Amino acid sequence: MNENDEMLAIILAGGQGSRLGKLTKSTAKPAIPFGGRYRIIDFTLSNCANSGIDTVGVITQYQPLELNAHIGNGSSWGLDDQNGGVTVLQPFSSTEGEKFFEGTAHAIYQNIEYIDQQNPEYLLVLSGDHIYKMDYRKMLEYHKAKKASLTVGVIPVTTEEAKRFGMMNTDETDRIIEFEEKPEHPKSNKASMGIYIFNWPTLRNYLTTSFSTNKKLEDFGKNVIPMYLANNESTYAYSFEGYWRDVGTIHSLWQANMEFLSPHNSLNIGDHNWRINSKAQVLPPMFLTNTSNVNNSMIVDSCYVSGEIDHSILSQRVSVGSGSKVVDSMIMPGATIGKNAVVDHALIGEEAVIGDDAVVKGTTDDIAVVGYGEVLGVKKS
Amino acid sequence: MKHNTVSAIINLVEPWESLEPLTTERPVGTLPFGGRYRLIDFPLSSIANAGIRNVMITSPRSGRSVSDHLRSGNDWNLDTIRGGLFNFPYNDLSLVSPEKRDNLIHHYYDNTILFLKRSNSEYSVIMGTRNICNIDLSALLRYHQERDNPVTTVYKSIEADDIEPDTTVLQVTDNGMATAIVPASNTNVSPTDNGKLAKSLNIYLMSTVDLIDILKEANMRGDLISLERLMLQAVIQHNANAFEYTGFYANIHDIKSYYDASMSVLSEDNFRALFYSQRRIYTKVKNEIPTFFAKSSQVKGSLCGTGGYIEGKIDHSVIFRNVFINRNTEIADSVIMQGTRIGAGTTIENAVIDKNVVIGPNLKLKGTPDNPLVIGKGKRIFRQTEVTND
Repeated sequence: MNENDEMLAIILAGGQGSRLGKLTKSTAKPAIPFGGRYRIIDFTLSNCANSGIDTVGVITQYQPLELNAHIGNGSSWGLDDQNGGVTVLQPFSSTEGEKFFEGTAHAIYQNIEYIDQQNPEYLLVLSGDHIYKMDYRKMLEYHKAKKASLTVGVIPVTTEEAKRFGMMNTDETDRIIEFEEKPEHPKSNKASMGIYIFNWPTLRNYLTTSFSTNKKLEDFGKNVIPMYLANNESTYAYSFEGYWRDVGTIHSLWQANMEFLSPHNSLNIGDHNWRINSKAQVLPPMFLTNTSNVNNSMIVDSCYVSGEIDHSILSQRVSVGSGSKVVDSMIMPGATIGKNAVVDHALIGEEAVIGDDAVVKGTTDDIAVVGYGEVLGVKKS
Repeated sequence: MKHNTVSAIINLVEPWESLEPLTTERPVGTLPFGGRYRLIDFPLSSIANAGIRNVMITSPRSGRSVSDHLRSGNDWNLDTIRGGLFNFPYNDLSLVSPEKRDNLIHHYYDNTILFLKRSNSEYSVIMGTRNICNIDLSALLRYHQERDNPVTTVYKSIEADDIEPDTTVLQVTDNGMATAIVPASNTNVSPTDNGKLAKSLNIYLMSTVDLIDILKEANMRGDLISLERLMLQAVIQHNANAFEYTGFYANIHDIKSYYDASMSVLSEDNFRALFYSQRRIYTKVKNEIPTFFAKSSQVKGSLCGTGGYIEGKIDHSVIFRNVFINRNTEIADSVIMQGTRIGAGTTIENAVIDKNVVIGPNLKLKGTPDNPLVIGKGKRIFRQTEVTND
């Protein structure tokens, strides 16, 4: 870290994302393509860079190759700082055994040496699987103003949604007095975004004590927050009002992509003051042939379009043959769609091949998914 | 000297007058082309693809647009520990005042000689940017090594009827040796039996030692001439091996040829030959958002860059990055460069619109295929009377 930096960011990117089914069979959830030319982790990495955080550790564990290749030396996000930058943290072995991890807090504990090397005052813990734009500096200012030991980023949700989240019940000063995981009867609308700012010496103390005894603090939601509340640590909720989506399921991933298509999406991807960067690739421009018909859609470099594209996103190197129709779908990089095929309400994985005349048809409630590299040559309904 | 290594010089001092206004504020080498590239990307990519790591760029003037585009050279793998990119601005001799000229005599080639000496390379290749091609420089080197003449130069075989009279061709002997490079109108060159001429691609390969000698001799003579003319002299003096290039080719020497070259990339065969060969074309990386095609958009037979917002109708055109095209516009057979905005209801035909231009609503901009309408960089046009060919 640079001399004046107080906060180190750690992105937890090791989860499998099993609810994304086929899509995360061979890659980690944060590496899943989003919005035509991004991967999910780009939002968090860009938020760090835009918030002036120049030292970021990315903790990986499950299927990390694609993620590692994507992050590289961090230069795509301006995170190749001389004194910091991105460090990919993978499990390693030591005299104490192998440092694989079981939960979110355990992942931090297993990488305590890296954090100690950086010696931050504050530790920002982030998930690598959310779509949003957030200035973490404002959250840090709030954390300092509240003299908090822990600040949890929260977002307002409906009562129905609240049943799927970890909910923070607060007093009138926004101090968290109770935490409920997926409550049947929610008492507040403040859902945890999985974004935490800790005073590092305090958290370090809790973690080292817990793992040297039997009371293991494995997970932030399940173990650490309850422990902080029980010990009367000053724990505050920081309310975030902007666009935020958890894209952990097939439906929510599809939904967020469809929202991304709208020019009025409050995520405002075109804002030059808060750019979302991604690993830059040099590819030829997109080519739209005489038979192409593109409406309400987003297309990027190196796409080849001969067919009809309606309300869909095509990522890099996607090819759609003549007579084919792609509707309400998101096609991931390198996928090839032949001639006279139909792709409707679908997520098509990277490098998948949809043969001539094939039909991939889902519905709003049941999005069709074609896995990475999957080949569909025959008719399928 | 390291065996088999090559250093490269890209010479941006090229005739630009007939390309005005596109070249008023930039050398020919940074002219945008093909939706997201600059002309210099083609030779630079050929260099990168051949694993060449020592590159000198000679700019006519300050080279602002050149440095802005190339930066550290990282996008062409030229941000390396050894070698890399070396920029030499102000090589346009017409800018040199008489008294400075006296000082320059005997020193004009010093920078180039020093670059070549320090490169420690066995061979050197010299290229311009106005001949667009995707050439395999490793194959050129092998060809050179197998032959006896000290210089190897490159040509593209072109129908004699298609050649512009002011372009240069190789005068080739029966055994495939180039004895001179002369204007196509020169009476000493005649087409081959099948009616072809050897169009010069302005690429020269020779041993670095020989090139240093050529430069030193010119220095001693006090010859203040461009590198390009020095190369023409070298071919006459030493004779050259003539290497035939067979891939996509376009020559940019005036507005019409720029326009025709841009349109030719819209043919799918040409597009694939230039951009999807084994040798990739690199350019400065930009982080743009995807291009949005609105419900009303109708885009056919066109190339588009990213970051665009398109509501109108586009036919057979090259649209660069970050272009905004309002509803009810009709664009046909045109080139629209990056950052340009076109107002609603405007019609554009056979035009080249430079970067960051704003065209108001309900205007008609119409050129012809032989005389395309050109709107210069950064222009603001809101009235029909303001539509003039720059």
